[in-house]
Amino acid sequence: MSPAFLNFIEIFLNGLMAGVMYSLVALGFVLIFKASGIFNFAQGVMALFAALTLVGLQTGQVPFSHLINAIFGTEIHHWGGGMNSFLAILLTMVIMIVMAFLIEKLVLKHLVNQEPIILFMATIGLAYFLEGLGDLMWGSDVKTLDVGIPAGGSFWWEDITREWAASGSEYYGMYIDTLDVTATIVAIILVVALSLFSQYTATGRALRAVADDHQAAMSVGISLRTIWVIVWSIAGFVALVAGIMWGSKSGVQFSLSLIALKALPVLILGGFTSIPGAIVGGLIIGVAEKLAEAYIGVPYLGGAVENWFAYVLALAFLLFRPQGLFGDKIIERI
Amino acid sequence: MNVHLKPAQEIRMTRPDDGIKKGDPLLIVDNITLRFGGVKAISNISFDVRKGEIRAIIGPNGAGKTSMLNVINGFYHPQEGTITFRGEKRNKMRPHVAANQGIARTFQNIALFKGMSVLDNIMTGRITLQKRNMLWQALWRGPAENEELEHRRSVEHIIDFLEIEAIRKTPVGRLPYGLQKRVELGRALAAEPALLLLDEPMAGMNLEEKEDMSRFILDVNQQFGTTIALIEHDMGVVMDLSDRVVVLDYGRKIGDGTPDEVRNNQDVIDAYLGISHDE
Repeated sequence: MSPAFLNFIEIFLNGLMAGVMYSLVALGFVLIFKASGIFNFAQGVMALFAALTLVGLQTGQVPFSHLINAIFGTEIHHWGGGMNSFLAILLTMVIMIVMAFLIEKLVLKHLVNQEPIILFMATIGLAYFLEGLGDLMWGSDVKTLDVGIPAGGSFWWEDITREWAASGSEYYGMYIDTLDVTATIVAIILVVALSLFSQYTATGRALRAVADDHQAAMSVGISLRTIWVIVWSIAGFVALVAGIMWGSKSGVQFSLSLIALKALPVLILGGFTSIPGAIVGGLIIGVAEKLAEAYIGVPYLGGAVENWFAYVLALAFLLFRPQGLFGDKIIERI
Repeated sequence: MNVHLKPAQEIRMTRPDDGIKKGDPLLIVDNITLRFGGVKAISNISFDVRKGEIRAIIGPNGAGKTSMLNVINGFYHPQEGTITFRGEKRNKMRPHVAANQGIARTFQNIALFKGMSVLDNIMTGRITLQKRNMLWQALWRGPAENEELEHRRSVEHIIDFLEIEAIRKTPVGRLPYGLQKRVELGRALAAEPALLLLDEPMAGMNLEEKEDMSRFILDVNQQFGTTIALIEHDMGVVMDLSDRVVVLDYGRKIGDGTPDEVRNNQDVIDAYLGISHDE
């Protein structure tokens, strides 16, 4: 194989793996949107908050330490030893579930039957609140997150692919980050587990029922509010997974909440109501971005195409297929 | 989610006995008034449904029949009046609580879960009877699995009963209208309801489908002893099926009694012929 073709494969693979990360965030959006018709702007911040909490617990940070120090003139930072990664992840999950309860109790409950735009605005408020809370609790410095996921280039893959190049050509093998590979595997497990759960359990059926028809769901005895708590908890769990992956890759920092914006083109591509859509949409955006950067950006436009290409792609989709690849066709009765 | 960790064989598969004898009032609607803003949909309506009977609610379009069903199953909260179901009085109730108490219903315009299979749709009907908590379900072993299988068995009985074995895996959205109506009845039956509310079960059906549906309704009433309250426009069907009929017009009750009594009631005849009354 020629090095040019191998390069293409490398870019393609890396695109796929970047796409998995987008898919993880988009998945949380779709879950909430299907069950409640709410576009949850706070999904990205939830991922950030989960990652912050995880690092905080793991390293044994004292929550609100800056606030406490400012008020009482103390000098506390950490409460001694940290926490086992596994325990910290479990505890973070518990916190995300408590958060789902609170969101239902304090926000959603009071906005039942309101216009979607009002619920959307509420989630924007929620996003800023969570960002502020995360800052206040754990501080705004960039933190490294290490839960023991292998990272760095895979030499094994580099060696194998070096062999593929035609002999005599100067090709040094493909670069693939093992962290990306892990993220991909985790995402696959997550999606399979979620679909098994929704397909074969009573709660899963209830979730699908609510997504399909609110009134009918209530008539068979499903409590919408219970379902919302469950859905937000699951979205919190997905946010935690996304937070761990993104945090391990690029450090836990507040720009993490901006990945929520990248999920938007993913959703426009995949459709707001489709879980496979979120996955495929994420992969397409990831690949398209990387290919555009390598074959349009670098040679012709001086780079940085990666930052805006997803949105252009989404715009094209809005023009020609507004319901996305997998979304339900929107039929409005007039 | 409820956290009951009883062994599988103790799972409640039928609703506990409420001590109400056949023929005694199961549901008492007392002086219900329902307003939407300034519009009175229902004014001061009282009637009862006795255990074991088929009770029809009839009336011209806009008489408040569906609103009445919506009040009974908790979709609407009346401004005045009370509802007593199985001896428990209430004036405000959420639909899922009503379902938990044993009220199941079907809808005028079919409200099935279109993307789900017939089997899954009917399984959702058993949600109020499935008490395993979510973590058990997620593990899908032991108690939750046994429970799921047990419920699956009783759903298969319903599928046999309604003669829809051949379509059990089909997504509901692809089925013809008449079959969808039947699946919706199946979902309501799966809850083993104490009171079954049917909103125009034969609307839009051809003669053959109507006959099938009538047979199912009678069988449900006679074999399972289920109390049924139904809304229907086909007078022939209503008169054949029901034990007693309540007639509504413009949100008021204008007649109540056996089919024969109602048929000969002058107010009812006038309402159907469109003769206006002096208020």
